[in-house]
Amino acid sequence: MTTFADSAAAAIDARPGGGRREAWRAFEEVGLPSASDEVWRYTPLSDLGLERHAVPTGPSPARPSDTARRLGAGAGVVLTVVDGFLTPVGEVPEGVRVTTDESGRSHTGQALVERYARDAFSLLNAALAPATTVVRVEPGVVLAGPVVVLGLAGPGASFPRLRVEVGRGAEAVVVEYLEGAPDGLVVPLSEYAVEENGSLTLVTYQRLDDTAWQVARTTGFVERDARLRQAVIGLGGHYDRSRNDAELRGAGAANELRTTYLGRGDQVHDFRTHQLHLAPRTTSRLLSKGAVAERSRSVYTGLIEIEKGATRTDARQTNHNLLLSPSAHADSVPNLDIRENDVLCAHASSVGPLDALQRWYLESRGVERVDAQRLMIQGFFYEMLEALPAALAAPIEADVAAAVAGVARAAAVGS
Amino acid sequence: MTSTLSIQGLRVAVGDREVLKGFDLTVSTGEVHALMGPNGSGKSTLAHALTGHPGYRVLEGSVTIDGRELLGLSATARARAGLFLALQQPLEVPGVRPLDMLVAAGADPATVAVRVREEAERVGLRPELLERFVNVDLSGGERKRAEMVQLGVLRPRFCLLDEIDSGLDVDALGSVARRLSAAVGEWECGVLAITHFRRLLVELVPMTIHVVRDGRVVATGGPEIAERLERDGYDGFRAPRA
Repeated sequence: MTTFADSAAAAIDARPGGGRREAWRAFEEVGLPSASDEVWRYTPLSDLGLERHAVPTGPSPARPSDTARRLGAGAGVVLTVVDGFLTPVGEVPEGVRVTTDESGRSHTGQALVERYARDAFSLLNAALAPATTVVRVEPGVVLAGPVVVLGLAGPGASFPRLRVEVGRGAEAVVVEYLEGAPDGLVVPLSEYAVEENGSLTLVTYQRLDDTAWQVARTTGFVERDARLRQAVIGLGGHYDRSRNDAELRGAGAANELRTTYLGRGDQVHDFRTHQLHLAPRTTSRLLSKGAVAERSRSVYTGLIEIEKGATRTDARQTNHNLLLSPSAHADSVPNLDIRENDVLCAHASSVGPLDALQRWYLESRGVERVDAQRLMIQGFFYEMLEALPAALAAPIEADVAAAVAGVARAAAVGS
Repeated sequence: MTSTLSIQGLRVAVGDREVLKGFDLTVSTGEVHALMGPNGSGKSTLAHALTGHPGYRVLEGSVTIDGRELLGLSATARARAGLFLALQQPLEVPGVRPLDMLVAAGADPATVAVRVREEAERVGLRPELLERFVNVDLSGGERKRAEMVQLGVLRPRFCLLDEIDSGLDVDALGSVARRLSAAVGEWECGVLAITHFRRLLVELVPMTIHVVRDGRVVATGGPEIAERLERDGYDGFRAPRA
């Protein structure tokens, strides 16, 4: 049986450039995290079994699900990425370029191994991703149809890497969808660069098998007066970790990040955020709202960091968790690090039941409690999809509705 | 077949304060009744207590439809027994679509979308406002029209209107009142309109007016009651001594 280390070595030998060897050496130095690291303390690292996962040398044969196919049909541009390998792309509208980049560099120009130093999983991605898939929207282009990135993962370990660049004054909507085989390990590393006055709306829908692992990291780079609106939805995975950072680099830059999840079985959904305000008049709005059922748990840890000189920054962070079972658990840890006085900054978090008045309103129309609960939980997810055209929102909503129905039924028994 | 909603000796507390102190009222399907009274007399408390709002505690009394007691039932069961409440300030329910709510409330999934469009047109509401989430981002007037859409789709036996006229402009008020009048004709909906103005009553003509003061009905009668109110105000109606 091919082990992780052997197959990784073979993958690097097959594509030795782009800083892969350096990244692998850096990974070996850092090593996998352990549960004694604070930021990994909720991770069932003993279940990971990295050695079990082989790194594929090419895309595994993957059959897209109905949801994936319907998303593709509603898109303006579809990119299919299998195990991190970009499959041939059809016609692309004017003003969009799709390329691959094997330089091993971040959007910032830094080598990935430096940019993501000390982060074991990002270093693995730097060493093992076949290439960075780059979607660039040229300056001034307002994309009519959304870009859909269909990510499919096989049973091994895969390392997709994506960079979305939205040029000056350009506007785009991007949907990233991820599904995969049982027992897979998927380690996506993504960068979203929005140049001056540009606007990027991004929805990430993670629908891996309930036995798979995801350890994802994304970074937004938001320049002067640019806007990044990001929604991250986690439904799949045995362990689903999603770290979403944003750097607000130019005056007036704005970031809106909303995350939601539904925990079932013994899933762990682990969301990490870091909003870094570097320039004046930057704003960040962060809303994390999710539900844990059965024996699942969720973690939310968010940091707002405001640098000296980022005057009149306005940063808000809110986290609401809904417990649907006495065996479920939610942890919420908001943090602030402020080095400038002239700012507005607020955070709030709660763990509790559904809004009783909203539920009563639905019941007073004749909706049964179990259905009211189902509609409200499903609503967390529907709110995330507001920015999408109906052709893309509908397949995701249908998929979410099916997943929520079973959980809400079970949860209502005890309420 | 005529149904009758009967409220007898209802006592309700909000927190530690008793607001309804032995309230009696009977309304049958096909009838329009108005419940008028000054602020704080218990009108809204009645509407909320009848529909099982959390936070309203029933101390005593009985509320029946055709003899079936509602007070022990869940809010859902009361609605399914035929009670519909149009709120003074309809709540926003983010993430929940009006169509999904109506189907869960018993509307026919095959026809609900068409029915919602028809009902929206009748009350002058742009149907696309009902494609988003329940009452979210709607103005006060739009929300009340949206509740009339729910009423038209669900066709309850009884509709309680909690000060639906407050905050409505004349046009919105007219469409709400006309929709309710039509409901009385279409399926003999019984209407109990809570108001402290007479404006609603111009297009929704009540056959019976009840005056409530201090948690009790102090007078019941025909149009002459409205005239007396116009002339003397609520001071002309004294609460009986307990």
